[in-house]
Amino acid sequence: MARVLMKGNEAFGEGAIRAGCRYFFGYPITPQSELPHFLAKRLPEIGGVYLQAESEVSAINMVYGAAAAGARVMTSSSSPGISLMQEGISYIVGAQLPCVIINVMRGGPGLGNIAPAQGDYFQATKGGGHGDYKLIVLAPASVQEIITHMQLAFDLADKYRNPVMVVGDGILGQMMEPVDLEGTGGEMAEPSKPWATTGMRGRKERNIVNSLCIVPEENEKNNLQLAAKYGEIQRSEQRWEEYGLDDAEWVLVAFGTVARVAKGVVDKARKEGIAAGLIRPITLWPFPEKAFNKVIDQVKGFLTVEMSLGQMVEDVRLCVQGRQPVRFLGRPGGMVPSVREVYEELKKMAGVKTCG
Amino acid sequence: MSSWQLKRLNIIVGALGSGKTELAINLALYLAARKPTAIVDLDIINPYYRTRYTKDKLEKMGLEVICPPHGIMQADIPALPASILGVITGEDRYGVFDVGGDDIGATVLGRFKTFLPSGQYAVFFIINTCRPAMGTPENIITMLNGIERASRVKVTYLVNNTNLGSATDVATVASGYQVVAEVSRQTGIPVAFTAAHEELQEEVAGLDLGTPVFLLHRFMRPPWDEE
Repeated sequence: MARVLMKGNEAFGEGAIRAGCRYFFGYPITPQSELPHFLAKRLPEIGGVYLQAESEVSAINMVYGAAAAGARVMTSSSSPGISLMQEGISYIVGAQLPCVIINVMRGGPGLGNIAPAQGDYFQATKGGGHGDYKLIVLAPASVQEIITHMQLAFDLADKYRNPVMVVGDGILGQMMEPVDLEGTGGEMAEPSKPWATTGMRGRKERNIVNSLCIVPEENEKNNLQLAAKYGEIQRSEQRWEEYGLDDAEWVLVAFGTVARVAKGVVDKARKEGIAAGLIRPITLWPFPEKAFNKVIDQVKGFLTVEMSLGQMVEDVRLCVQGRQPVRFLGRPGGMVPSVREVYEELKKMAGVKTCG
Repeated sequence: MSSWQLKRLNIIVGALGSGKTELAINLALYLAARKPTAIVDLDIINPYYRTRYTKDKLEKMGLEVICPPHGIMQADIPALPASILGVITGEDRYGVFDVGGDDIGATVLGRFKTFLPSGQYAVFFIINTCRPAMGTPENIITMLNGIERASRVKVTYLVNNTNLGSATDVATVASGYQVVAEVSRQTGIPVAFTAAHEELQEEVAGLDLGTPVFLLHRFMRPPWDEE
């Protein structure tokens, strides 16, 4: 069973199990329901716990509890359900606990629809809940990458004692691709968690898990400690993929499913004599500013493409700092930009005359 | 292992992600070359890759597409149009039914069981042994029994549709056939045919599997791979 044909939603589940996750708490919502469906079958087979909570609010607080006890634990949902979880996520950050949260994004705002979208970028990368905090946010672009990102997500969560969110969109969740499971997961030892609330075990001091910090001086210290952690993450954990970037004059910026479209645009442009390349952010936070600094003096401009009205483009502009033009093309509400329309936009930007 | 007999109504069932929609569309187009054919989208559990998303294209190709109307076509609700019964009772056309995956998806078929005219329909159970937990005869037979129980109809034929998407080669198809043939031996249900992507036509024909090969053109594509 080294090679299988998997749905993205199944891969989130399989990747989590291979990364040592044995606890799932969640509530079904389209377009990610195959993920809880898959884990409802698989987790009991391997001695794990699958529990369908009565709401997303309950689910995230169950995650909080399991994380406090030191378990590798996850939840998953889609846009509106993730909105419901925001209070709990902020608590988990405040208590400095690791967990993994999956968001298979759909069209919003509101109930919106069940079509693919990327309109939760701000929510994922800029906090989402209350208070000063960050999530590490991973954005896989293929079913194979979902498997490797699940391992990475649990490892980073444990390393920094912070929730990690893995975002996809409905297409990534629903599509099927061949996946090689050889060499994934395995016997990697989880880090010890001396802070976990698992009983005294001979210790003299009690372990207390809490996000309440009443004295302002102490809470400021707490916040500064978080800030120091986020600084370290920004220095060490930026990840991105480059495609055709070495001699690129025009650089597309896209993540997840849209990056697959953008690769098609780069190929098409190269065939027709436009030196195009792609930066695909793999970590949406920390945003890979190092990738931009590398090419900023060599390129003529950036074209950011998203399934939203323009969210990641703000981070692109912060990296570029006015040194080059940054253009944006987006399709909101569950629509997916086509290779053709992105290519037309790129041609306009590159000043190539369209015939007719 | 006899080859299959064409019936007026052809119902496609199988595990989630086994390739029912692609087979249903291709089979409907094959039948439409002989007589008017309707394809019925009975999939109420899969939100994206189902027949209704190619409705316009299939109508241009001459098929009648039965699915919920535009306003609720992409809604997350189990809507079934009344015109489904017209396909079941109307003797003037072929019908192909694309049923949802697993036992859960097949439950909806039970709602039409009492209307299905005996002797006029065949149920195809489609198998891809490269899907998770579908690699062994035991797993496949458990799934088959679950679908028969949920839908209250019996499977007439097995179909080998073993593939790894874009990474499929002829060895993938052949290894899947061995498992499907074993399921056939254990259940007594004949293998109707092996379905394979049209690009593999010559290589799969060279396998000499002893059952026909039905070639598939791919309709369900991600947005970066549109025709």
